[in-house]
Amino acid sequence: MDCREFQENHFAFIDDTLSGIELVGMQRHIAECESCAKHDTTVRRSLMLFRSLPRIEPSAEFSERLNARLRELRESETSSAFHHSGKFAAAVAIASVVMLGYIGSSLRDVDTPRDIVFPPVVASVPEPEFVPLIAPGPALVTSAAAGLPIWTAALYAERQPLHFATADLQLASSH
Amino acid sequence: MRSIARKQEVPNQGATVRERLRVMDDSAVVTAFLGGEERAFSELVERYQTRLLNFIYRTIGDREKAEDLVQEVFIRVYRHLHRFDRSKKFSTWAYTIASNLAKNELRNRSRNPLVLMQTVQKNWQDDDRPLQFEDTTSRPDDMYRKRHLREIVEESVAKLPEHHRHVFVLRELEGKSYEEIAEITDCNLGTVKSRLNRARNSFAEIVAPYME
Repeated sequence: MDCREFQENHFAFIDDTLSGIELVGMQRHIAECESCAKHDTTVRRSLMLFRSLPRIEPSAEFSERLNARLRELRESETSSAFHHSGKFAAAVAIASVVMLGYIGSSLRDVDTPRDIVFPPVVASVPEPEFVPLIAPGPALVTSAAAGLPIWTAALYAERQPLHFATADLQLASSH
Repeated sequence: MRSIARKQEVPNQGATVRERLRVMDDSAVVTAFLGGEERAFSELVERYQTRLLNFIYRTIGDREKAEDLVQEVFIRVYRHLHRFDRSKKFSTWAYTIASNLAKNELRNRSRNPLVLMQTVQKNWQDDDRPLQFEDTTSRPDDMYRKRHLREIVEESVAKLPEHHRHVFVLRELEGKSYEEIAEITDCNLGTVKSRLNRARNSFAEIVAPYME
């Protein structure tokens, strides 16, 4: 162990928190190094001096002052709680008054006799019955405009897939 | 007759509660207070007032101000005890509050040189008071030497940098573990160890010439 290492671990050496091996290393270093041994003694002595400083006690008025402050604190907490609850109570009271007023007024309205008002009579014409329109459809109109008879065009369109299928069969059998 | 008997019982009951509180650990006392037992708070004050006073006094060096700050610690404890995480140590929490208040006080002082001057003057006046802590049967020259040494030690602590002094006082005066100091000062363990090592070395260096 060198002096640098000794200095770094010195706090733990003083507090006796080193492991066994480290402790032996530190003790061995002190035995060999006069400067570190002197440093160790100086630190230990100075700490003893500091620890032996007289401890001061609280003054005679300390408890009295603290109790007075605590009492004030308790009172202010109680009054603030009361203040908050007072506000809440006032809000509830106002809401209750408004509610009671509303209920009262609506009850008064129920009690007062009023003229009977009938709903207005509305006269209406009955809806006309549905009459199907006998007129040519749009396809018929288009076919007629193109000069084609409707039934032949429809038949032609219906037969087309059949024609394609037979043509495929013929081609396959010829091969 | 019955009322007289009841009156006599009340103080006895009170004494029993106090005795019971006295043997409880901090955590149990805190629980009792939160459960509505107001006397539990007095027990906490009794346990910690002197320790906190010495810790703050050694950190800021002003006795009167230290008392004010200890009062503030207890007021804060009283107000916020319901928020205290009971899985942790009460003492660590109380010391953390005290440490923060002491830091704030030192910060305020450094910003206000007038306050610093007043503190120094007050401490000088304190020095003129007769000593109370020394053995009056000692020889006058011994008394003088002891008093002088005490002053030197106190001055030497005051000379340490603030963050070193904090760690130093918590360890040497209050006997806190490294972990507790880390929690109180909000530093990591490595920083605590290095600050403690430096503080001890610096303190020894300042005091050494007067010890020979």
